[in-house]
Amino acid sequence: MRTARDIALKLIGDPSAALGLLIIVALVAVAVLAPLIATHPEAVWDMNPRDRLLPPSETYLFGTDRMGADIFSRILFGARITLTIAIVAVGAALMIGVPIGLISGWCGNWLGEALLRVSDIFLAVPQIVLAIAISQTLGPSIENVILALSVTYWPWFTRLVHAEVRALRHETFIEAAIALGVPTWRIVLLHVLPSVLSPIIVRTSIGMGFTILTASALGFLGLGAPPPAPEWGRMISEAREFLPEAWWSALAPGLAIFLVVMGFNLLGDGLRDVLDPRIRRGNPGR
Amino acid sequence: MRKRQRGTTFPVSRRDLIAQGGAAAVAVALAEVLPAQAAGTRFVFANESDYDTVDPHAAFDVGRVAVRLNLYDGLLRWQKNPAVLEPWVAESYVISPDGLSYTFKMRKGVKFHDGSEVKAQDVVYSLDRILAVGKGASSLFKTMIDPGAAKAVDDYTVEFTLRKPSAIFLSVVPEIHIVNRALVQKNEAGGDWGQAWLSKNDAGSGAYKLTQFDPAVGFVAQRFPDHFKGWGTKWLDEIEFRGVKDTNTRVLGLLRDDFQGIGGYLQTDQLNRIKSNGTAQVLEAESMRVMMAQFNMTRAPISDLHVRRAISYAFDYDGFNKDILGGLVERNPTPLPNTIWGVPKDVKGYSFDLDKAKAELAKAQAKIDKPIELAFLTGFQQSEQAAQLLQNGLTKAGVPSKVVGYPWPTIVDKFKDPNTTPDVSIYWISTYYADPHNWVGEMFSSSTAGTFKNAAHYKNPKVDALLDKALSLTDQSERAKLYEEATRIVVDEAAGLWIYNTKWYGPYSNKLKGIVFYPIGSAQEMRTAYYEG
Repeated sequence: MRTARDIALKLIGDPSAALGLLIIVALVAVAVLAPLIATHPEAVWDMNPRDRLLPPSETYLFGTDRMGADIFSRILFGARITLTIAIVAVGAALMIGVPIGLISGWCGNWLGEALLRVSDIFLAVPQIVLAIAISQTLGPSIENVILALSVTYWPWFTRLVHAEVRALRHETFIEAAIALGVPTWRIVLLHVLPSVLSPIIVRTSIGMGFTILTASALGFLGLGAPPPAPEWGRMISEAREFLPEAWWSALAPGLAIFLVVMGFNLLGDGLRDVLDPRIRRGNPGR
Repeated sequence: MRKRQRGTTFPVSRRDLIAQGGAAAVAVALAEVLPAQAAGTRFVFANESDYDTVDPHAAFDVGRVAVRLNLYDGLLRWQKNPAVLEPWVAESYVISPDGLSYTFKMRKGVKFHDGSEVKAQDVVYSLDRILAVGKGASSLFKTMIDPGAAKAVDDYTVEFTLRKPSAIFLSVVPEIHIVNRALVQKNEAGGDWGQAWLSKNDAGSGAYKLTQFDPAVGFVAQRFPDHFKGWGTKWLDEIEFRGVKDTNTRVLGLLRDDFQGIGGYLQTDQLNRIKSNGTAQVLEAESMRVMMAQFNMTRAPISDLHVRRAISYAFDYDGFNKDILGGLVERNPTPLPNTIWGVPKDVKGYSFDLDKAKAELAKAQAKIDKPIELAFLTGFQQSEQAAQLLQNGLTKAGVPSKVVGYPWPTIVDKFKDPNTTPDVSIYWISTYYADPHNWVGEMFSSSTAGTFKNAAHYKNPKVDALLDKALSLTDQSERAKLYEEATRIVVDEAAGLWIYNTKWYGPYSNKLKGIVFYPIGSAQEMRTAYYEG
């Protein structure tokens, strides 16, 4: 098995993965240190209509929005919301999806089939549509966005884990463990799960980016965190009315979403190269 | 091609094919010319809120006024600006000296869309229906007239007998939109006065006849050539009113000529963009529309006078009127528009003062243990921003609040029950008739509690007495004193939060002419409109 150190070194050696990692580290840093970095921490919640829609300047690095709040500070605090949504939603999807995938993959009987069909039902409806339906029904709030995203994202993990487990089921080392009389739960947790960890990690990283994108779409549609929360999707939605004149008010949150999603995707790709030799990108240089 | 021919049951020879192709080509060429003439001119209006019903008696608001003005007629109709009551289906009317009986002589030969004639019995049925259904303008009529108090003297004479004299009865007569009695009765189900049917169908005599209705989209109507008012030389053949909740979609749609008219609740930024574009115009007219917040007075903490005063001190009036709206509007400190009679000139109202807000909160008995719900109308950016600004002020004063948006038809439904009415709801009271009763009268009379006019569910016997008396008098100076007194009381009680009074702005396509603004119709009566050239 490769050590964490090996993986980290390989990641840093890959420029695009390193860039992705850098963006995500920066995102986390920004989210944690938001109150320190923000130029107008009070202006995140405080509106000052007299300064509305000012272009970027030294005082307001990214300009001000329609209510006169500092966009730069709002973006920084918005990183917290974004990160919370992504981590909790993907975390919850993992909690649901991976065990179901393990069970369905391992059992393979009617139970496994039934679980798979349930996940198929969720996959049949596009994630964004299902998420809109759920959060619209429950009412706009961060909690409901998280709920909607986790409920709609877990089948991806189930599918992935199921396929991996099916392939592993008849490997020699598993058969050996069965022959030795190791209890099933022990085989699944200690032998199967570690072997399918790599694709899960890759999927998680890509899923984070995907989830952030969907969460922003929900925010844009007014289904996310209620105002005045500095949610990026909502910020774009509010700014859209003043395009193209006040371009800065939509540009900053748009770029923020773009960068973060790209970061997670690059990292995901990089991780896949390092962890999963079967689907490595075609790169003759390495 | 060959493969396909083999598959058909009727083999087609090449010659036939060519002949048919030629015919098809001619047909296409004709089709390109003909439908343009057949379909005629078409007008699309993008409304801020949806059309959930086309029942003319179900709503009495600006949001759904297009249904009533275009598909239906009344005995009288408000026209011109300043508004004048003009005889419409009625030719003339007489009021008895005691002010109790109103007799209308109706025109002969006014036709419903199905060809039958509009008669006095239809008017009687329509008023009875309004009172029975209990929606729209019924809360007003209920204070004046009982069911069965309208009589058809003969086919063309209708007489209303009021319970007591009323200064505004005539003003609301236009809201008795005449429905085709025979047609509605035929479609009644279980004594519902045809509500289920009429909410989706047309039983009117108006200048346009409903052809399509989908609550998720809007309604389409064709010109009714037999309309009693007759038509000039130019007109719009088809009108469509659509609910489009997104402001940008509406504005861009107007600029791209997808829409030829859009709702006028816009911000300065948007109005300027339309004006500078060149494909559309912004019509302006003197009118009255008060933006305000209604407080749900029925539950704590809003039921506490000091909490209400604190909220009134926590709104940045100047920031909203001058900065966000760019001075488009004028501060209006009372529920009555500044420009109408009956306004107590000495009342200054509330100003933005967080210290006073905190001082009031200190006096309050009620505990604010959960966030106050600030409701705005989705699709109306101004109301959303006002809610955010109020939230901002409240946060600084130490009051937790949450901002929630509802579509107009939804929030009107919520108002019916004090339990579902939001704590604070921000919207407008437009001119339905040019009388102080339209504002302070209906907003604070217990008879209208639960309508969007009185979403506060405000009930105060003292104010009721003043308003009732004002309604029973005809002398304007006497009435003015009573409205002044009522206004003083509700301002002192902070029974609402009043923000501004504005003119009317109507964004329409440049090529559209003949649009007539009058305050009650918000320029959505399309009978006189046409395209130039």
